[in-house]
Amino acid sequence: MIRTRGLVKRYGAFTAVNGIDLNIPRGEIYGFLGPNGAGKTSTIMMLLGITPPTAGEIHLFGERYSPRRLDLRRRIGVVPEKHPRGVWHWMSAAEYLRLFADIFEVPRPNERIGMLLEKVDLAAFQKRRIRDFSRGMLQKLSIIRALLADPDILFLDEPISGLDPLGIKQVRDLILSENREGRTIFISSHQLSEMEKICDRVAIISRGRLIAEDAMERILSRISSDREIRVELETVPAALPARVKGLPFVRDAAAEGTVLTVKIPREGDFRKPLAEFLISQGLVALSLAEKALSLEEAFITITQENVVELAERGRE
Amino acid sequence: MKASIRSGLVIGWRQLFESLLSPGFYIMLSVGLALGSVLVAGFTGSIGSSGFDPQASPLYDLISRSLSGAFGSTFVEKLFAEGPFLFALVAAFLPVSVYLAIASVFRFAQERSAGAVELLVYGPADGTSYILAAFLKDLILSAVSLAFIAAAFAVEAALTNLLLGPLFLWALAALFLLSASFFAYGLLCSIVVVSSSSAIALFLGISLVFSLVFAGSFTIVGAPVRTLSSTAAAFLSWISPFFYAGMIFRGVQAGSQGAVLAGLLLLAFLSALLVLAGRLIIDAKGVRA
Repeated sequence: MIRTRGLVKRYGAFTAVNGIDLNIPRGEIYGFLGPNGAGKTSTIMMLLGITPPTAGEIHLFGERYSPRRLDLRRRIGVVPEKHPRGVWHWMSAAEYLRLFADIFEVPRPNERIGMLLEKVDLAAFQKRRIRDFSRGMLQKLSIIRALLADPDILFLDEPISGLDPLGIKQVRDLILSENREGRTIFISSHQLSEMEKICDRVAIISRGRLIAEDAMERILSRISSDREIRVELETVPAALPARVKGLPFVRDAAAEGTVLTVKIPREGDFRKPLAEFLISQGLVALSLAEKALSLEEAFITITQENVVELAERGRE
Repeated sequence: MKASIRSGLVIGWRQLFESLLSPGFYIMLSVGLALGSVLVAGFTGSIGSSGFDPQASPLYDLISRSLSGAFGSTFVEKLFAEGPFLFALVAAFLPVSVYLAIASVFRFAQERSAGAVELLVYGPADGTSYILAAFLKDLILSAVSLAFIAAAFAVEAALTNLLLGPLFLWALAALFLLSASFFAYGLLCSIVVVSSSSAIALFLGISLVFSLVFAGSFTIVGAPVRTLSSTAAAFLSWISPFFYAGMIFRGVQAGSQGAVLAGLLLLAFLSALLVLAGRLIIDAKGVRA
């Protein structure tokens, strides 16, 4: 559906995107992550045809894509982070959507607009002016606008930024429902916990380079050599961490208050032998849980490693 | 129809609708018509037994002195020999055309910085669509304004037993194309710079330079100023819409239809060239502010 080869974007001497290869199949929810200034926006702008790449190729729907391919652009729906409501604030929701329906030459536009407004529970507000819409309503309106032409790909930039928990759930459900209908979804966001919930695969970009691209669990397992088991005890004897460290499967152990944190290898389930050892020491575990590495931690680890690696390369 | 042009027409239609809903256009058109009526009334009040005498009316005395200072007395004599309507037409159309040009410059720059242009071009539209939309909207409003002013003056001519004058129709065409080229300059300014205030300042600056060079080409002044003016004109005249407007004016005065047509065509060509330049720049720069 989306394929890039050696995508490069330079602004003068500065290289914003440095040889990115993406391959996003049909029907996938693809998360695009990266710290500020990583080259995310430049990549997205090239994928959307807003700016041409300095080098490299973009293929959409199996065809070579360039900013002049307006026919292919028609098959893409875009939800930008900022909604320029100041410009269209005087329009009603229906008028606003009608403008874009006319640009996209949507057949039977009023029917389509009515159906989409109904889908996101905004039908009752179609005659209300945009300036009176809340942030959540605007976001839903923006998603509807992007869906007007029944696009094959939906690009969303920070789709849940600034929304309340209910708004987040509504937008998440809408994204998942659109994906179930066969739409490919490309999301760029800093809300990593949310990305973790909805993305099939994520790509992490840093300093213009793609440094990880895989299914969520594979990225997490690849970057974490150790896992952690946290055990809450009634009391933690001072010598316990040292004794636990003596176990063959334990990499490290530390205590803080009544919580014992034990580092174990990535493969294997060690909860049972650990619990048996604690019982043998006459201790009662109030709770025992393995802490999974979050995408947020993975993101920080990966991007920091990349920064360190680049800094070292610079010193060489 | 090519997608970008079709999208341009949709956006242009929407912009036209918005402009017709806003009071600014009507206010400026009313101001123009009122100004035109005052000038025509002042002119008729200055007609004595020996014909038109500017000194008979304080208003026309001031106008003729000011215009003589800027363009020379020969220009003023020729202008008023046509009757009141030619000068009143220019004066009535000026507020509307300046408003339309500045409103477009402001709007384009504002929408670009707000991300609205970017949002429009996510679909089957591009920078060309947006430039085309703004330009077409201005052309239509300009034509509508000229038609209103001409109709009002035709009624006034009938009521006062005055003639619109042989130059009047040519002036309508010339003013339409002259405003088109200034609209194109305005769009170019809003593409080149980012903020709306800078775009307006640049546009006003360019317009002022062209006006000074144009005035300089008519004025009988001292040698150093004339040399400076003609040197500036040599560089700027071919890109100044006033140069071609002057060519039309002189062509009509000399009875040369070829010169008039050449002036009109060159004005249209200049506008097309400016729109094309705007398109190339926005394609290269992108629609992002």
